[in-house]
Amino acid sequence: MSHNKLKGSIFFYFSATLIAIFMLLPFFWMISTSLKSSGSVMTIPIQWIPENPGFNSYRKVFEIFPFARSIFNSVFVAVATTLITVLSSAMAAYVFAKFEFKGREILFSLYLATLMIPKQVTMIPNFLIIREIGLLNTFTGLMLPSLFNAFATFMLRQNIKTVPDSYIEAAVMEGSSQFRIFKDIILPLVKPTLATLTVITFMEAWNRYLWPLIVLTDRSKMTLPVGLSLLNGQYGEQYNLLMAGSLISIIPMLLVYIFAQKYFEKGLSVGGIKG
Amino acid sequence: MIFYKKKNKYLSIFIFLLPSVLGLIVFGILPMLGSLSLSFSEWDIISGPPKLIGLDNFVNILKSEEFWRVLNNTLYYIILYIPLILISSLSLALLLNNNFKGIKIYRTLYYIPVITSWVAGSLIWKIVLNPQFGVLNNILNFIGLQGPGWLYDQSWAMPGIVLASIWKDVGFFGLILFSGLRGISPTYYEAAKIDGANSWQRFKNITLPLISPTLLFVIIISLINSFQLFPQVMIMTQGGPNGATQVMVERIYKYAFQYYKMGYASAFSWLLFIIVFVVTLVQMKLQKRWVHYES
Amino acid sequence: MLKRVSILLMVSILISLLGFTSGVLAQDATEVDFMTFSGSGSNLEYLNQMKEEFEKENPEIKINIMTVGYEDYFVNLQTKIAGGMAPDVYELNYENFVTYAKKNVLKELDTVIDQNEFDKSQLNEKALNAFQINDNQYGLPFSFSNVVMFYNEELFDQAGVDYPDSDWKWDDSLAAAKQIRDLGQHIYGIYQPVTFWEFYKMVEQNGGSIIDEQKKEFVINSPQNIKTLEYMIDRVQESNVMPTEAQLSGMQDWDLFKSGRVGMIVTGIWAFPDFAKNIDFEWDIAVEPGNTQKATHFFANGLVMNKKTDKSSEAFKWMSFLSASKEAAEIRVESGWELPAITDQEILSDYTEITPPENRKAVFESLNYLVTPPVIEQFAEMSDIINQQIQAARDGLKTPAEALNEAQTQLESTIEIN
Repeated sequence: MSHNKLKGSIFFYFSATLIAIFMLLPFFWMISTSLKSSGSVMTIPIQWIPENPGFNSYRKVFEIFPFARSIFNSVFVAVATTLITVLSSAMAAYVFAKFEFKGREILFSLYLATLMIPKQVTMIPNFLIIREIGLLNTFTGLMLPSLFNAFATFMLRQNIKTVPDSYIEAAVMEGSSQFRIFKDIILPLVKPTLATLTVITFMEAWNRYLWPLIVLTDRSKMTLPVGLSLLNGQYGEQYNLLMAGSLISIIPMLLVYIFAQKYFEKGLSVGGIKG
Repeated sequence: MIFYKKKNKYLSIFIFLLPSVLGLIVFGILPMLGSLSLSFSEWDIISGPPKLIGLDNFVNILKSEEFWRVLNNTLYYIILYIPLILISSLSLALLLNNNFKGIKIYRTLYYIPVITSWVAGSLIWKIVLNPQFGVLNNILNFIGLQGPGWLYDQSWAMPGIVLASIWKDVGFFGLILFSGLRGISPTYYEAAKIDGANSWQRFKNITLPLISPTLLFVIIISLINSFQLFPQVMIMTQGGPNGATQVMVERIYKYAFQYYKMGYASAFSWLLFIIVFVVTLVQMKLQKRWVHYES
Repeated sequence: MLKRVSILLMVSILISLLGFTSGVLAQDATEVDFMTFSGSGSNLEYLNQMKEEFEKENPEIKINIMTVGYEDYFVNLQTKIAGGMAPDVYELNYENFVTYAKKNVLKELDTVIDQNEFDKSQLNEKALNAFQINDNQYGLPFSFSNVVMFYNEELFDQAGVDYPDSDWKWDDSLAAAKQIRDLGQHIYGIYQPVTFWEFYKMVEQNGGSIIDEQKKEFVINSPQNIKTLEYMIDRVQESNVMPTEAQLSGMQDWDLFKSGRVGMIVTGIWAFPDFAKNIDFEWDIAVEPGNTQKATHFFANGLVMNKKTDKSSEAFKWMSFLSASKEAAEIRVESGWELPAITDQEILSDYTEITPPENRKAVFESLNYLVTPPVIEQFAEMSDIINQQIQAARDGLKTPAEALNEAQTQLESTIEIN
């Protein structure tokens, strides 16, 4: 038995480490490139260890655009967008999972339908709508569309559907309000999914690029990816700057992920409830 | 289904749906209708309002050799990508769903490709897939196989893009499936162990049915996404060699913003929409056979 | 948990409504919006210097600079134009300029030029004329670059070949490239990519063209064009003096040159600042070799005015400042940010004095052979079709003749010449 266990753990660490190294190769390259001077960043074979490593590119990135300001903007936008999306989608998902009403399936398929049209052709109409509402060049205009998120709604609906009806029925009998049921029963039960969704939504909001570029014209409102795109020249990129910028922008996403890990564990805290 | 008091029920539905449906109408449906009406028009975006031309765009697209070729390329990608991503992300989720020491570190490491930029990722993949010096062909060589030209070969460029996409996406879908696995109560497994079920039986009889709602989600989303394959193609091959990796959305982007044919691009998008919609509809119908929402 | 979340939510919505929407400044000065791509990144510093100079001279005008990276510049610009929110002045590269002018979204400048008594002779004639359509001026040159041949002196010395000069022809450069290629497995003779930009120019170097002289039809598969493409492709596949895509494997051409692995590279003069800073071997430039005649390529970015602007006078002041003023030109020359399109010999001679490269006068010599690309309204679509075909030939999937015949058929069926 313990022999088997040992074999199992050796197998696990071996394969897990191997996969990790492979998956992280580009990441190592990003770090190495960001430390290179602006000389040749691409060589064959790959030069993993830079000749004269230095933090020059990082310094330059900080100089090129209002960096601190854009990080602040990005954090604000990404956090607010995540909150809006997760809450509004969880509410909608609860209805789609647990209420029966006429037109439910049609309404839900409209959600899915919005995922199926390429954003390239709905961007201009969206821009015109934001302009009509008078929200151009505002953070509200940037974030308002995230009230609705078909991906998040669908994901949560799938999860809330697995919550046994009996739990809700019991609460209804006791006279709990729908709001209480949602808050005290549904949300705690789908915590791992909520955590995952937070990670994903934050990542998407953080990386969002074309929409803020178009909606926000004020330099002081620039988000980080918009600022980083300024490093794209007409005649090719400066990879060392680009990689330094991308690495900095990865950090917040990683922090959110590490923070959310805590909640992956808590899905079962309501006493092995899903049975 | 749950019994609610009628008055209460509709009020709750209304309140809970309000923010989301408002967003759906204004930022989802309305822009779609906008692009639908553009698909019946000729519009270069910059010089004044669109001009209605009826079904011309649709007719021209369907008559063009290009549409069928890029549809074919897109389907080729999907056929390779979908089974691979499902198997790899489910395996990853299962691997991460255990309690070895340091598992949290691995969980974090596997997430890193998801947040790594495509620019860095694709550059490395170009090198990994290099026909002469690349890691992959060296390995193939070692086991006695002649590696293909990958991104520089018409028939191997798409598989090359599939490999890079798997690298990028496996952490994403793996995470979603992992969160589904976390929702399964350990009591099931304990009971099954007492009954003497082996690990394959446990996987087949417990894990798979209980994770099926999440699996359905992953299948549908990955299908929708892969029909809209775009950034990796733009960065890795620009549609080449000889058009072998030109795909639907790459064409749509070009027509919309580089060729000044937004109407044509919109019609292209709606044809894509119809295809994806039908495929998804079939999935949603088929789900009744294999997805279990309640145990 | 939920309570905290909803409080956070309320607060963030409030902040976004109150704190950030009221960003409009009360100003007496007229504000001119300016959108640019070439001023993005590290050039922004110099653009800001120009803006400061300008605002000092014209205190009644305030310039709002919006910089967008090149890749997304046009998506952004088009969306803004669609929304009726185009900037007053914006930058267009030459190819897009023609498309925009023909689509009638640009302000014709002749009237403002007269009103402001702007002296056109301050500007390089070729660069200025490039921004004319049917004899009307629709734009002013912003910056100006051309393409020359760079060479690595050390590799030439090692191979025992004479350095290139203005009399070189295709055969000379091919012969030199072969000798340099023999220096080592990873040393290449020349790099000149098989792209539309090189192709249209080399076609002219060989006495051919893409569109016939009457500008009526495509003649891309003419015998001399096929010869040209064969020459380009043979360098990759036959003599391999130029790396194949696989040999290059994502490495960029500048990096190839900077790492000392290629003898000659044909690229733009915008490489000067980078090469001067990052190369430790000796290098210089020469006019690009031709075959039956010489032809060199220039890139110009133009400044144009939104047709609907109501600030045309202020907008023009800014445009002409960027384009023709001594101050802006000096900042450009000093920073090495391409070439100002001016005729002022004093400033230009400052430019020739900066080394490396030693032979900077080749930049001006090349201007004598300038050819312009065949710009038509459907330029982007045309160059994509041509690129796809000539690159298929490069990768050995088609013969040059097959590729150009296919290009001819596709161009005829999808592109209108106008």
